[in-house]
Amino acid sequence: MGGRQLLAAVNPAAAAKGLAPGMPLADALSFLPGLTTRPVERTEDAAALRRLAEWCGRYSPWTAPDHQPNGGNDGVKIEVAGSAHLWGGEAALVADLSQRLARQGIGHRLAIADTLGAAWAVARYASDETASGPICCKSAVKTVNFIIAPDGAREALAPLPVAALRLDPAIVQGLHRVGLRRIGDIMAMPRDALARRFGEDVTRRVDQALGDLPEPLSPLGEVPTRRVRLSFAEPIADPTDLARAAERLAQDLVTRLAREGLGTRRLDLGFHRVDGRVERIRIGTARPSRDPHHLAKLLTGKLDSVDPGLGIEDMILAAFAVETLPPEQLQSLALLKPGPHPNPPPLTGEGVGNRPRLKRTPSPACGGGLGWGSTLAPLFDRIGARLGLDAITRLEFRESHIPERVSVAMPIEVGCRHSPQPSPVATGEGARRVSGGREGAGTLLAPQKPPRPVRLFAPPEPIEAFWVLPDDPPFHFTWRRRTHRVAQADGPERIAEEWWQPDGQLIAGAPNAIRDYYRVEDETGRRFWLFRAGLPGDPPPRWFVHGLFA
Amino acid sequence: MPSVAHLDDLRDRIRRIERPNAPRQGVLPFGVAALDAALPGGGLALGALHEILGAGGDEEDCAASAGFAAAIAGRLAADDSLQKQRQAAGDGLVLWCLKHDDLYGPGLAAHGLDPARIVIVRAARDDDILWALEEGLRTPRSLGGIAAVIGEVGRLPMVAGRRLQLAAERSGVVALLLRRWRTGSQAAAERARPSAAVTRWRIASLSSVPEAGEPEPTGPIGQPRWRVELLRCRGGEAAAWTMEVADAAGLVRLPAELADRPAAARRLAAEAAIWQAAG
Repeated sequence: MGGRQLLAAVNPAAAAKGLAPGMPLADALSFLPGLTTRPVERTEDAAALRRLAEWCGRYSPWTAPDHQPNGGNDGVKIEVAGSAHLWGGEAALVADLSQRLARQGIGHRLAIADTLGAAWAVARYASDETASGPICCKSAVKTVNFIIAPDGAREALAPLPVAALRLDPAIVQGLHRVGLRRIGDIMAMPRDALARRFGEDVTRRVDQALGDLPEPLSPLGEVPTRRVRLSFAEPIADPTDLARAAERLAQDLVTRLAREGLGTRRLDLGFHRVDGRVERIRIGTARPSRDPHHLAKLLTGKLDSVDPGLGIEDMILAAFAVETLPPEQLQSLALLKPGPHPNPPPLTGEGVGNRPRLKRTPSPACGGGLGWGSTLAPLFDRIGARLGLDAITRLEFRESHIPERVSVAMPIEVGCRHSPQPSPVATGEGARRVSGGREGAGTLLAPQKPPRPVRLFAPPEPIEAFWVLPDDPPFHFTWRRRTHRVAQADGPERIAEEWWQPDGQLIAGAPNAIRDYYRVEDETGRRFWLFRAGLPGDPPPRWFVHGLFA
Repeated sequence: MPSVAHLDDLRDRIRRIERPNAPRQGVLPFGVAALDAALPGGGLALGALHEILGAGGDEEDCAASAGFAAAIAGRLAADDSLQKQRQAAGDGLVLWCLKHDDLYGPGLAAHGLDPARIVIVRAARDDDILWALEEGLRTPRSLGGIAAVIGEVGRLPMVAGRRLQLAAERSGVVALLLRRWRTGSQAAAERARPSAAVTRWRIASLSSVPEAGEPEPTGPIGQPRWRVELLRCRGGEAAAWTMEVADAAGLVRLPAELADRPAAARRLAAEAAIWQAAG
């Protein structure tokens, strides 16, 4: 700051010698000449904190890094209200978390309280004597844990300094100046006076810490709808073990989904490594699914992208985008009997694997008409798992004068959710005429009077064109460094701006509200779709190749 | 003609000896006597891999060959003989795997392929495209669903081609490969490479005015035509025809002035030989 170098953080040994964050480096060196220093890497710190928060996702999906921009006081927030019972209570959860952190060499202070504010304050400012468990100090990793009993927040907060209220340093100084040093002092003051003097912040923070004001935690990632977890007594790293675990998780998840009549379209399988990193596999399906065999196959197909490191101690399978699933697939899961603790049937053999899945009737949402039946959903899922679901599109017909807006590529998921519309170019009736053979020839062309190209370039490619008369097509043009002499030409077909559309510009940055299209044939027989952007005159119009005819 | 039937029977027997496990798949006739006569079985073999090449400057863009492929795929997708099964499994879709999504629905519809039946898969690499095609070929034709798969690839290793051919044989689905080449050297190298495909076609746009017509600039475009060359055909012979481009029903036909004249086809075949000799 201002060229002065300050200490950003100190280790316990240095703190014991009287060093503190914020101290000028020169002073610190005069105290301790042998001091080892490293430049601060804030982005690295933030990334490490984020990784830690992600790892903490094993305790709850509601997890977020608590990064303080001015350094110091960083932490991780975890909402354990709904998940502590899975660990056998808050004390057991704290013990497990503390043990695992210590194993990673992370010194820590943990606090569980009714409110985020109280936990924040206690974890950072409570004196070690009030700790709930034994203070463990072995191997230079100091761990202190607090569990504040329900309704004990007021009592726990009272002796803490006002800085524990997450206030602006300026406000803290102001409070100190009038002699308010402890939170208990503030709680005893009349609220109006406090708010008038120091702003709403002080009372708001007190209310939040005491639970009088809600304080939602915005989690790191999207919070899944359903989540299943598998922990291993010993870390595993063998790919076959991982695959078996993935299958088991898929089975567990499917059992839950089946009980609720749901299917998922997006899965996230997290691998929590021993060293605190989290590897992930994400898959998506074109239609909601709860076919354990299919989901497990999609997951295991991507296992080779997972680096197990020294071993994986937890796997968490989370389902996003959960939708109700039509009952047709329920029959296929008749084997999965919902029970208190389902024992997954073997994935091979006479179980789910050999189901006569092809006899399913199409679901009303996606089957029939021009949608795809259930036979094709697994195909699209396999392709989507390798290339991404957004790589699969369908051409949708739109009513428009602008050529490139007539045929729009739509992601396949969207196409599934709406009931598929036969395109007006070839409606159901028209399609039958096509199949009818010769007598239907030409009928489909009726709504598309001027011929349209097979390939359309987006954006149109500029060409160098030469023409004689302003209204004529060019007599020769150069496209992709090749010159074409125009032998025949049809046109022009004038296509004007859709002025009623808000984003009216046809080609970015060109004042070309009008296009004159020509179908031209060069001397070799190739047929191009050219257009002139703008009216002939000054400035000279520009020419483009927009498409190619078959 | 008994001799033709006899020949077909012989071919079938040889095929059975070569591939005892492959089910008999049938053919899709083009409906043009000259064309169907050149193909064993009287039409485009179903459950097989077919290569379609562009010509000249169109090798890079494959516009004419896309029209030809669309015509074939469109007729397969709308095939009446499979309608019943499809009612259970959804309609016949065409899986079109490519690198650059430059297909234009209305243009494809004009050659007989309803755009609503196309599912486009975009991939950056040839390998991924070939993989996606093979996945598409795993659904048997008798179940409906996929009516045809079309892939646009530059490089086609022999192994990949064979895999596709085998997958197509098993499922009975037609696989069409549009060979789209970026550079002339790549085109030359790939063209010389042997391939596992049953047929290899080359489709070129032909000038729409008959040779006799004087090259008057900016005259209107007449009936567009293709030069359809069958470069290679397993169990058949190379041949070439001049045809009108596929119409909205996906049907090609001989130009009006040449149709019903047996001599014309022979003359065109002779022309084709000259074309081929020229490269």
